[in-house]
Amino acid sequence: MSRVITLFRNTLALEGQPGAGLNQWISRITLPLAGIAVFLMLWSFAARQIDTSLGAFPGPQAVATQFVNLYNEHVAEREKEAAFYERQEKRNAARVAEDPDYVPKIRPYTGKETFLDQIGTSLVTVMSGFLLGALLAIPLGIAIGLSPTLSQAVNPVIQVFKPVSPLAWLPLVTMVVSALYVSDDPLVSKSFLNSMITVTLCCLWPMVVNTSVGVASVDKDLVNVSRVLKLSTLRHVQKIVLPSAIPMIFTGMRLSLGVAWMVLIAAEMLAQNPGLGKFVWDEFQNGSSQSLSRIMAAVLVIGFIGFLLDRSMLWLQRRASWDKSVATS
Amino acid sequence: MTHSRTPGHATPRGLNRRALIKAAGASVLALGLGISTVQAAKLGYPEKEELIFGFIKLTDMAPLAIAYEKGYFEDEGLYVKLEAQANWKVLLDGVIDGRLDGAHMLAGQPLAATIGYGTQAHIITPFSMDLNGNGITVSNAVWEEMKPNIPKQADGKPVHPIKADALKPVVDKYKAEGKPFKMGMVFPVSTHNYELRYWLAAGGINPGYYAPHKGDTSGQIQADALLSVTPPPQMPATLEAGTIYGYCVGEPWNQQAVFKGIGVPVITDYEIWKNNPEKVFGITAEFAEKYPNTTIRVTRALIRAARWLDENNNANRPEAVKILSQPNYVGADEKVIANSMTGTFEYEKGDKRPVPDFNVFYRYYATYPFYSDAIWYLTQMRRWGQIAEAKPDSWYHEVAKKVYRPDIYKLAAESLIAEGKVKPEEMPDFATETGYKPPEKTFIDGIVYDGRHPTEYIDQFPIGLKADQTL
Amino acid sequence: MKAQLEITGMSMTFPTPKGPFVALEDVNLKVARGEFVSLIGHSGCGKSTVLNVVAGLYRATRGGVVVKGREVSEPGPDRAVVFQNHSLLPWLTAYENVELAVKQVFGPRSPAPRSKKEIREWVEHNLRLVHMDHAMHKRPDEISGGMKQRVGIARALAMQPDILLMDEPFGALDALTRAHMQDALMEIQAELNNTVIMITHDVDEAVLLSDRIVMMTNGPAATIGEILKVDLPRPRNRLALAEDPDYNHLRSEVLRFLYEKQRKVEPLKPARSQGSASKNTESAA
Repeated sequence: MSRVITLFRNTLALEGQPGAGLNQWISRITLPLAGIAVFLMLWSFAARQIDTSLGAFPGPQAVATQFVNLYNEHVAEREKEAAFYERQEKRNAARVAEDPDYVPKIRPYTGKETFLDQIGTSLVTVMSGFLLGALLAIPLGIAIGLSPTLSQAVNPVIQVFKPVSPLAWLPLVTMVVSALYVSDDPLVSKSFLNSMITVTLCCLWPMVVNTSVGVASVDKDLVNVSRVLKLSTLRHVQKIVLPSAIPMIFTGMRLSLGVAWMVLIAAEMLAQNPGLGKFVWDEFQNGSSQSLSRIMAAVLVIGFIGFLLDRSMLWLQRRASWDKSVATS
Repeated sequence: MTHSRTPGHATPRGLNRRALIKAAGASVLALGLGISTVQAAKLGYPEKEELIFGFIKLTDMAPLAIAYEKGYFEDEGLYVKLEAQANWKVLLDGVIDGRLDGAHMLAGQPLAATIGYGTQAHIITPFSMDLNGNGITVSNAVWEEMKPNIPKQADGKPVHPIKADALKPVVDKYKAEGKPFKMGMVFPVSTHNYELRYWLAAGGINPGYYAPHKGDTSGQIQADALLSVTPPPQMPATLEAGTIYGYCVGEPWNQQAVFKGIGVPVITDYEIWKNNPEKVFGITAEFAEKYPNTTIRVTRALIRAARWLDENNNANRPEAVKILSQPNYVGADEKVIANSMTGTFEYEKGDKRPVPDFNVFYRYYATYPFYSDAIWYLTQMRRWGQIAEAKPDSWYHEVAKKVYRPDIYKLAAESLIAEGKVKPEEMPDFATETGYKPPEKTFIDGIVYDGRHPTEYIDQFPIGLKADQTL
Repeated sequence: MKAQLEITGMSMTFPTPKGPFVALEDVNLKVARGEFVSLIGHSGCGKSTVLNVVAGLYRATRGGVVVKGREVSEPGPDRAVVFQNHSLLPWLTAYENVELAVKQVFGPRSPAPRSKKEIREWVEHNLRLVHMDHAMHKRPDEISGGMKQRVGIARALAMQPDILLMDEPFGALDALTRAHMQDALMEIQAELNNTVIMITHDVDEAVLLSDRIVMMTNGPAATIGEILKVDLPRPRNRLALAEDPDYNHLRSEVLRFLYEKQRKVEPLKPARSQGSASKNTESAA
């Protein structure tokens, strides 16, 4: 992929020469398109060969139909939602007329989450968990990177917890959240917290490790510069350590976000927490003749969102990082 | 009706009842005294309006879906969210820990929870959700082996009901070959477990005993057929994978096996015990006490939904099928659900027979929580050792009254009658109803069940623990 | 002439897994104010160690360094270092790199605070001095190696150090750029009259720039072998000097020291590549 980046840079550099630039642009567009076309053909062909008890494996057309269906269901559900609120307002008004002390309250829609809702839920969950993870992991990583003593003390703990699949945490998280998060009028639902904390736990380690490595491996010459300039500790961290560790911190964040997305889907499936994972599981359980193509649609969306998340982290990394060579895919 | 115990009398629920009566208004009390012409006072507003109810993807959750879709919950000022649950254990735990306010439950669940078999919690039911609706399916291979043992009708189709006698040689053969004959049911205290056991035992196949006092909850002691738990929606896949040779489950998972061509339903529970009680709507006793108006209003909405489902001789069933086939409810294909919901049942592929009462939601007082239904489940728990020790008849009656709450049902039903939403003849005569059905003679093995004498009943089974027997 | 810098009995021993390694043994040197001194010797002779001790980045095992009558115990901006590989902060522009140093020396909390405007002018002045004013808002990765080194020199000069310490400042540059930089350094030194200690491998560079050339013996236990006074008149012109017999004599003196008296037999190694590969060869000694 780094070659593509170079190619990209070259293309930018060659902007003055339209011929050369155009050629490269064309190959940049046509090659992936050809790849996708071949994939669709192979998929379509292979799908017809696989016969499951729920009918033939869905090909591209069946999945495309489901995308349309899922969107239409979403629109229909929104209409139902509007009607729901309308009815509620009428009912509230009627009750106030009858019972003047009553303080009307608008209750949230009770209908089902559509596919688009589930995408939204998953995105919000993954970003919340990821941000919470970053908030914890980066300061911790800086502290570990700066202090060899702390690093030695914390290292065994990190080494043990790092390889644990976050899914193994899920039951514990669920129980702890149930025990500690008690509220009559909760701000966020328990299932959201469960998914989010599971995501946070899996985000933590790549970010802690990468941040601490980035901080610990500041170029010795730059440390010497700082010593010659007699920078105070705070300024040393601020001016030398942090900027120098930024590429590694972002590498850690990017790794984390990728893992987080994969884990979230699995956690949602396992715990039946709202989100794309639950959508997949529900469809699997339904076992209708459309289930497979709907699952396949979800798989494509999950992959595409994962790709977009990675791209946006890469974009952020490029913007925030001085060392462009690190920010390649 | 020799027993004079009317609901509510001499029961340890005085406070709760008072709360309910207060909530429902004085005139309902008057109704209870038989002055049915008095216009009922308006029911109080629900104390809790936003509710989450759990369900398992089975067609018998229909009253919940209909109450939601037809606006019956909203008519009661209730804002209900329906959430599918992964399995019966998750569902029960959800109700116990308060994540769910109530749920579509196996009739055995509130009883087992209340007597402390499994998770201990006082769960009650004011509403019985349906009659019948289950079936037993075996794999294609087992079916081929069973077929020669089944007598044929003139048209070459097997004579129904198919008894487990036809399966016994197959089980014996597997046993002789050293292969354990494994079957699936949905939960240890599920209707399906007891129905499957009843059918197997009636055919001379021992389904095995439980011995919780010895820490054995596998239910496979002395078993000819080994039964284990599989969540309903996963039944067909598990059968397809060859992990089990047959299962007992609710719809649409028997019809699904026919459609997928992976198994053959051999019998419906209607043929094992005509109009057997099936699912119930379960809530915690605490919920009913804390939110009496909400409890009555939920019951009202469910009664109306059940009525809609059976109205005009099942005229609404096609619409119900459409609703149930939505992915957020049962989610199976419309034609699969329609197969059993519209009065037919497809056995072997192409062998579609009318079973008009396969799914009963309202008629035959299907929604009324009869004590005798509760007691039947308790007798089966005793028969298979889940209740390890001998219990006197009085214990069975007490447990039934602790869990089954026709008193709440009555308040709901009478207010509906008063509003003209339900006709009095659709309901039992509350003035005389004891909660005990007359002796039932429609079991596949011909044994008569009288809920008033549970220990006597238990002693009649050739296979099964006797009332005073301990493993 | 009073010495501005005095190295007395400096010895340096590094602990290694194979036991202590004596890098330097009894180094003594006095440098006068405004003097340009080169340290030359084979690689591994401890030149960089001497420089690092003077900078305060290392502590000598025995003996020490006195600058303006005070013993050196830690690094400080009074002994600015031009590092072998420029060591600019890659995330800052040329201007910001110099500014960081200037703010540290002349910022509000320094002993000699300057106003914001003065600071800005001083940064720009120093960049102009090294002819980098045209690219001062570029980042290190956007400018050539020679330009980076010039920014490094500007940064060091901008601190107004008593002593400028240069560790092979042009080692990584190509010959043309190097010549260019040498000329620029001579100009600046003539103008500012800094005291300079410079490490070099390059005999021509040493003779061209220095007032004295300190030639070091081979390690271990390296020390000063000979000191050669270069009394060529200034300003010096490299083209004119190429024909100058004095220049060539001095040049051969240094070569004789290096290749006869301190001949070092080393296994053949691939030529040093430019850049990072070379940067640790000295300091590792």
